[in-house]
Amino acid sequence: MLNRLLRPAALLAAAGAITLLASACGGSSPASSTSSAPAYPALASSPACTQLRSQNPNLAGKTLTNAINPHTPGYESISVSDPTKYEGFDVDLSEALGECLGFTVSYLPVAFDALLPTLQSGQANFIISDIYATKDRAASADFITYSKVFDGVLVAAGNPKKITGIDDSLCGTTTALNKGFVEVPLVDAQNTKCGSEGKPPAQTALFDNNADCVQAILSGRADAYINDVNTVNRFVKDQSGKLANASTLHLPYSIGIGVPKGQLPIRNAFTAALTQIQTSGLQTQLAQKWQLDKSAIQAPSLVTAS
Amino acid sequence: MGSFLHYLSMPYLLDGILITLQATALGFFGGFALGLLLAGMALSRNRVVSGVARTYSVIFRGTPLVLQLVFVFTALPHAGIVLSPIMAAGVALAANEATFFAEIFRSAVIGVDKGQTDAARAVGLRPGTVLRRIVGPQAARAAIPAIGSEAVSTMKNSALASIIAVPELTLRSNQLASATFDYFSIFFASGVMYLVLTGAITGLQLAIERTFDLSRVGKRGRGRPSEASTAPVEGTAPAAEPVTAARVNGAQVASAVSRAEAVRRARVALTITGVHKAFAEHEVLRGIDMEIRKGEVVALLGPSGSGKSTLLRLINHLETLDAGTISFDGIEVGYRDGGTALPEREVARQRVQAGVGMVFQHFNLFGHLTARENVAVPLRWVHRVPKDEALAEADRLLGRVGLSARAHALPRQLSGGQQQRVGIARALAGRPQVLLLDEPTSALDPELVQEVLEVVRSLALDEGLTMLIATHQLGFAREVADRVVFMAEGRVLEQGSPQQVLDNPQHPTAVRFLRAVHTVEV
Repeated sequence: MLNRLLRPAALLAAAGAITLLASACGGSSPASSTSSAPAYPALASSPACTQLRSQNPNLAGKTLTNAINPHTPGYESISVSDPTKYEGFDVDLSEALGECLGFTVSYLPVAFDALLPTLQSGQANFIISDIYATKDRAASADFITYSKVFDGVLVAAGNPKKITGIDDSLCGTTTALNKGFVEVPLVDAQNTKCGSEGKPPAQTALFDNNADCVQAILSGRADAYINDVNTVNRFVKDQSGKLANASTLHLPYSIGIGVPKGQLPIRNAFTAALTQIQTSGLQTQLAQKWQLDKSAIQAPSLVTAS
Repeated sequence: MGSFLHYLSMPYLLDGILITLQATALGFFGGFALGLLLAGMALSRNRVVSGVARTYSVIFRGTPLVLQLVFVFTALPHAGIVLSPIMAAGVALAANEATFFAEIFRSAVIGVDKGQTDAARAVGLRPGTVLRRIVGPQAARAAIPAIGSEAVSTMKNSALASIIAVPELTLRSNQLASATFDYFSIFFASGVMYLVLTGAITGLQLAIERTFDLSRVGKRGRGRPSEASTAPVEGTAPAAEPVTAARVNGAQVASAVSRAEAVRRARVALTITGVHKAFAEHEVLRGIDMEIRKGEVVALLGPSGSGKSTLLRLINHLETLDAGTISFDGIEVGYRDGGTALPEREVARQRVQAGVGMVFQHFNLFGHLTARENVAVPLRWVHRVPKDEALAEADRLLGRVGLSARAHALPRQLSGGQQQRVGIARALAGRPQVLLLDEPTSALDPELVQEVLEVVRSLALDEGLTMLIATHQLGFAREVADRVVFMAEGRVLEQGSPQQVLDNPQHPTAVRFLRAVHTVEV
């Protein structure tokens, strides 16, 4: 009797095993860029990169994993024409670093607030994902800066709440933000200020990715969304007539490449390769390619906890 | 609409389905296996083992799956355990689902009637066989709907693996929505995909349920057209062959003297010495001593709560003794020579060796087996008789109790009297030396009592079986018993021939009880 019951269970198990095998063999893991021909031959063959490869034999020929939160078109998102690939400024930058230092890049897509834990756990080797290099975050990783930060304030077309930036105009409004973004403590600080001035609170609504934040504005659940200005402008262009950029703010941060804390060989190699990419003009070209009009290149500098 | 259809057939999302299935399969099968283990541990009598299972459940059922996913993915690597995203998702899903599977299995096992476990032990099945043949199949049937629901739940939960970089359907939908701004078309498409997947699981669940539906099993495969259900019962049943009281009484008077003499000369089959038993504070037996000779039929009389049933259950060790000994020709079922308790598998072997069978007040037939399969249980799974032979013998025994026509019916399709006759045939299948009958007619409607008594009567008078019968049927006791034992409040108050005890009781309690029963019977 039990055998009669076990038979379908065995069939189910077999079906499960076949599924596992099929997906294991199907190679459906997304988006490791496997282009054999170098995209940046001039960079790869530059004396600086040649020398870096010989100085860092432990990187050459390896596959390094880049933790990304691929929800920011222009910086990193899947490619619409080939969704198995990631594309954007940050993706090109990490590919360029790879070519200079001789490693291949694979991508691990995680939630924004999981970027640092993923790096710390060793599941990823570095982070290039439009992440701002703050002192707080430097407690979890070392950062090599590559760009200044300008934020935009995405609002519904016509800016019905008359929002002007992270200031008293936010009192009595709700700002949609990604979990873990640096803007969260800034808006929270403004909320405290609103309270002390006897004004209604500046609330936040936290989401997992940009698309959810934009939907919050479109559906009227939030009044503003504050993020990198290039990202904001892209959303405005895509949903023209429904969205607008209320203001452009300079934040006292830089965008950085996250590497494991205290691992000097990889940190030094990345810094040197990034310097070469900037001095060769490649970073400017990439910014133009991805229409990052407000990309203000910043020479590599370290942001660490100490 | 156009873009919705575009996403519905997009290879990128279809590949995501494969990963979703993979994560679901890992969570489901891993959770199933771990759940079985946990359920076994939770049901264990060892408090450390069951405590470990309970602690595990408290932790993994009491914390969000999201935290468990993140823990396995980002915390375990700090301890040197680095799993790929899909494996991390599989481990976290399995660890979480296992607690739910364990409760499903545990409640399914608990849901199997305790009486069936007693009956299985009484025929001499070992604990492993009880689980495999009796409890397992019924628990598995009961668990199918909940398992199907858990499979659907696992699939939906697999969407949470998107936060740890498992490129399954939800993660791909999110990424695609971020890249294209085509939010609603994409999520409608992936919603439809999930519906198709979970719908398929539900369909599979219903198909499995139908395959193992007992009412279908009864009608199809193992069943026969049941024209017999309305046909008169054959053989010894009263409807087919009415036995007049005068004839039986005449025969009995003629043979009574020689029979009493034969019993007196027979060797002792069962010795009960100084037996005590209490449940918590309540003393049920307060010192029982009794010798029963081979071929003797003893009727146990006494008010409810006098300890008759407990005595029978102690005799074949369905309960443990507090003090005293019970010995079948030197075999003390349940105990070593020194008096220490034996493990249940050894007890099972001893029951068979002692040749003790039991018939229960509430029949306790195995609900998932037909009448003939019930009767064949001791033959197939205790005595290791080949299936065909065992079933042939079962058919013969069913003929003996007048139930050949109902051989392929499930217990639920039989009347109480028919069920009890199957119960008797099952007890006989093990070829017992001593048969214990615990109020075999008390749960029956009055019109069904006679058919069962008729079968017992013929066993007593024709087969020479040693029997101990707890009963309230005075006329029946007078007719079949060599000795009547009157019990009250855990003691034997009076015993002797039926004439002595029933017609001329000495103890005031016995006098009162017999008068009350007579009044009811008249």
